[in-house]
Amino acid sequence: MSQNAGGASDTDRRTDAFAWRLVATGLSFALFGIGGLLLGVSLVPVLLAISGNRVIRRQRVRRAIQLSFRSFIGIMRGLGVLTYNLRGFERLGRPGQLVIANHPSLIDVVFLIAFTPGAACVVKQAVWTNPAMAPGVRGAGYVPNHPTDSMIERAAAALDEGQTLIMFPEGTRTSPGEPLRFHRGAAAVATRAASVVTPVFISVMPTTLTKAAPWYRIPSRRPHFDLAVGEDLDPNPLRTAMPGPRAARALNEELLAIYACRTSAG
Amino acid sequence: MQNRECIRAEVTAALVDLFELDPARVVPQARLYDDLEIDSIDAIDLIDRLRQVSGEKITAEQFRAVRTVDDLVDALHRLLNER
Repeated sequence: MSQNAGGASDTDRRTDAFAWRLVATGLSFALFGIGGLLLGVSLVPVLLAISGNRVIRRQRVRRAIQLSFRSFIGIMRGLGVLTYNLRGFERLGRPGQLVIANHPSLIDVVFLIAFTPGAACVVKQAVWTNPAMAPGVRGAGYVPNHPTDSMIERAAAALDEGQTLIMFPEGTRTSPGEPLRFHRGAAAVATRAASVVTPVFISVMPTTLTKAAPWYRIPSRRPHFDLAVGEDLDPNPLRTAMPGPRAARALNEELLAIYACRTSAG
Repeated sequence: MQNRECIRAEVTAALVDLFELDPARVVPQARLYDDLEIDSIDAIDLIDRLRQVSGEKITAEQFRAVRTVDDLVDALHRLLNER
């Protein structure tokens, strides 16, 4: 097998059942949309209607989303669309834990939600108006990313309640080749309310489903997703040493430096 | 902290403490975002601080139209003297 570390270019020879992967990628997108719509209009209302207080019902919807996403990932792997490897995920899902990750591909969030037990997630506002996804994000009590001030307050409240929260500090997918940039929102949430900040490093080789390419521009080789949970960061020293805005800036710099080292290959 | 001068002093102190600004930069016409680089994320901490010092339940919503330091002092002055 030839290894090329630099990712796929258009001149690479198409391997790993390219035509099939193209079809299977299309099927996966269709499955996600149709599955989301069906679960949203049928399963989520049922799960919300069954007895239980607000928290129990919310966790029930999260569990359903998690299982659906795990199945979806399993199906994609089964169809040969991708392979993946997870490391350290047993350390995710602690109370008040803020899980952050870089965002190289469209389905990073699917992986993180699938494998982080019971977590809340900051999700882009547009999803709340998407018919396939709105019932799910609503029922699961996820946090819309806009407007920023209410996002930060709701995200901090979720951590204060002892929920685990997933955030992507880049805010949107990485554009390949561009320098990594983090919005300070995640750091602001962390310094306000997180008991611990745990970074997850995602690498996708070759890159696929990036912001720069449409879904059908699949890589010449089958992409491999590697998700590694890094060492915990304790936001408490920063929180006690300086006022909020300075602590958030300092933590943001620290996170950016950690990610710049770990993901420079992307 | 109901009179305008006291409010101005509290606002200036908040800006200097929270954002390590040189007090000389916190002039009435200074624009919070363009001149002092205080964005919507910072604004939450600023409003938290003003909430603490004023003891009023103020919200970010009440400061949407604020652009300059003077606007902020005015808005706070109005809120604290409303009732």
